[in-house]
Amino acid sequence: MLATSLVTLALAAAWEIKCRSWGYAPTLNDTPDLWAMRRNAVKPDSVVIIGDSRAWFDLDLDEVERGLGSRPVQLAIPGSCAYPVLADLADDKSFHGTVICSVVPIMFFAPGGPPVQNSMDAINRRRAQTVAQKASNEIGMFLEEHIAFLKEDDLTLGELLNRLPIPNRAGALVGPPLPPYFETEDRERRARMAPQCAIPGPLQDRVKYGWLPLFTPPPLPTYIPRDVFLGGMAQAVEARFRDAASAVHRIRARGGKVVFVRFPVSGELRKLEDQATPRTGRWDRLLKDTGAPGIYFTDYPELASFTCPEWSHLSASDSVEFTHLLVPHLRQAIGSAL
Amino acid sequence: MLFNSLIFVVFFSVVLAAYWGLRSWETRKNLLLVASYVFYGAWNPPFALLLFSTTALDFFLGSRIAAAKGPRARKGWMIASVTSNLSMLGFFKYGNFALDNTKWCLAHLGVAYNPPHLGVLLPIGISFYTFHSLSYTLDVYRGVCAPTRSLRDFTLAVSFFPQLVAGPIVRAADFLPQLVSPPVLRPNQLSWGLCMMTLGMFEKVVLADTLLSGSADAVFGYKGTLQPLDAWTGVLAFSGQIFFDFAGYSTCAIGAALCLGFHLKDNFRFPYAAVGFSDFSRRWHISLSTFLRDFLYIPLGGNRRGPARAAINLVIVMFIGGLWHGAAWTFVVWGLIHGVFLMMERIFKAVTGDAEFSHTLATRLLLGLGTYAVVCFAWVFFRASTFPDAARILKSMLGAAGHGDAILGTRAIIQVGAVIAALLLAHWTMRDSDLESTVARLPRVLIATIWTLMLSAILLTQGSGNAFIYFQF
Repeated sequence: MLATSLVTLALAAAWEIKCRSWGYAPTLNDTPDLWAMRRNAVKPDSVVIIGDSRAWFDLDLDEVERGLGSRPVQLAIPGSCAYPVLADLADDKSFHGTVICSVVPIMFFAPGGPPVQNSMDAINRRRAQTVAQKASNEIGMFLEEHIAFLKEDDLTLGELLNRLPIPNRAGALVGPPLPPYFETEDRERRARMAPQCAIPGPLQDRVKYGWLPLFTPPPLPTYIPRDVFLGGMAQAVEARFRDAASAVHRIRARGGKVVFVRFPVSGELRKLEDQATPRTGRWDRLLKDTGAPGIYFTDYPELASFTCPEWSHLSASDSVEFTHLLVPHLRQAIGSAL
Repeated sequence: MLFNSLIFVVFFSVVLAAYWGLRSWETRKNLLLVASYVFYGAWNPPFALLLFSTTALDFFLGSRIAAAKGPRARKGWMIASVTSNLSMLGFFKYGNFALDNTKWCLAHLGVAYNPPHLGVLLPIGISFYTFHSLSYTLDVYRGVCAPTRSLRDFTLAVSFFPQLVAGPIVRAADFLPQLVSPPVLRPNQLSWGLCMMTLGMFEKVVLADTLLSGSADAVFGYKGTLQPLDAWTGVLAFSGQIFFDFAGYSTCAIGAALCLGFHLKDNFRFPYAAVGFSDFSRRWHISLSTFLRDFLYIPLGGNRRGPARAAINLVIVMFIGGLWHGAAWTFVVWGLIHGVFLMMERIFKAVTGDAEFSHTLATRLLLGLGTYAVVCFAWVFFRASTFPDAARILKSMLGAAGHGDAILGTRAIIQVGAVIAALLLAHWTMRDSDLESTVARLPRVLIATIWTLMLSAILLTQGSGNAFIYFQF
């Protein structure tokens, strides 16, 4: 038993050294438990950030606090649709604070699938979280802050097996892999792009070219007639406009404010997004239907000047500068949101 | 509290250290009782009260059965226990199912009835602890077990944390005698207990959750038809996932109990090497099979009233066994498939007798693989949410669904194939043995190496604290 323990510890130490030599450093995993912890920190008048990974990477909490006078709570979830969290805040009758909501149209208007599921997993975990889960989360965070190989998105057995270069059958409907490690996260869920990803190199390329298949609409399902499927999608988008407007109205009726933000996107990914979800069809109508103010990064030269190194998110240093420049627009939008 | 959670590691370490550090047996039992209620209450504290009320009622009814003067009174108290336990189980687990089916029946009779959905949260492990508790009054009634005078001991027997929420279903008659005198700490026993906990965790975290669940979820969650390769891969993956998940929990439970000096019976005995369905039922979820045999099949008459009645009894038992797993007709069909194959096997044996050909290795292997294949077909009903989903998977498996979609990557197919092949090989290698004696025959270096690899794989996998499948039952 002693020999087993010692050899296991030695192997774990060797693996830790290997992971660090690859550039991994200890960081928290972005789990539904961590999200639930931050959601519980929301006070009735809090400034809350919701949406996808762009709000998660691109907003600096210190700069928002300096600019708006209130420490924001980061509730944006990578790869998620913002609507379920917006609805969760709207359903919270005590909440009358400010919501900064990131909109990546392909995710915000996703009728279901992983974007909605990612948000629902977090919300459901908070609703059903047990004492044991809270305690496990505390222990887990302590370990993750000290051990690099506990990076669950990248260094687990399952993820390592996923990386095996085994070609799939022709025509297999297998989803594209998620991009590899490129961020760190703290207990406030402030995400920062890893330095290796902010500079040109193999990691940046892997992340960059990972987005295109992920943001390309999947082939139409074979088991539903094309017209029926497309009709259902159109209905789902209409329903999302209606539901989002209802959620915004409920928050505003209590004195709360909602501001939509379109964060920077670059390169081939920007072309793909603009083509798949043109601004007029989604963004403009969202603002019109909800009556909420919005900040579209291309409308302001100082915000449009930022380039995302891996096409989708800002580097850690740029996120601070970007937030500094965004805050005056947020202040103005919040003022007009009443 | 889940076995595969960090808080359990801390909890178990503290309980284990304190338990063996205490001198007084009474104090140690008190510690285990408190620990068990903390273990259960960490999920939802109010349901700990429900657990205690069930226990206290059966303690009282057990004493009434023992004290009753005549057989009618004894039977009356026993029926009171069965009724109270099954009513509670029925309310929490089958309330909405019963209302939905009533609504469906009335609708077919032209009566519009819209019952409100009971917003009832299912207490975790209720099917298990209800049977733990019920086994006591039934065994006292049968004269197998003497009533205990200690409410504390009985409460501990029902709530003993290793087996509380997902089995094995430990009968009070097996556990209460172990509370009479204190166990002695034996290093080998502690070491074997920890090794079993590692094996159970490896089965759950690495094999079930990491290597198999993804393919099973993808196949059973897909709404279109599939290529036969994908459908079979998904179903084989589920057959492995459900085994490793449930057997993993049982192995952890037995290991944890052993670390504390208690012996729980095996709940699985290499079931995928079963030759025939009666053999399968003796190897899969043994504690439930024996519970249903002793408390349902035999009281119904067993096979004492002729083959026809025995067949009916078997179907009744498997119907109840299916329903025990979940409040859905798909579970009932799963149970009935097992019941029908048990009947067919009896007929086959009656016709062929003890034919010589049935003892050859080739025949046994063929029958064993045939049993596994039918078990896999039955798993489709167990895993599918609806009958149309089950039909779609079955058609895809048989290639009767036309051109289906390929949804699994080559790596996933290889992964499932390798794990299932290893699983079948392991079960066939050890089918006439047991885990402990098999391990005892291995060189110590090899044991230490395998143990190290399992621990390392658990560390590498980390696990996201997925609940065990049988928690929902």
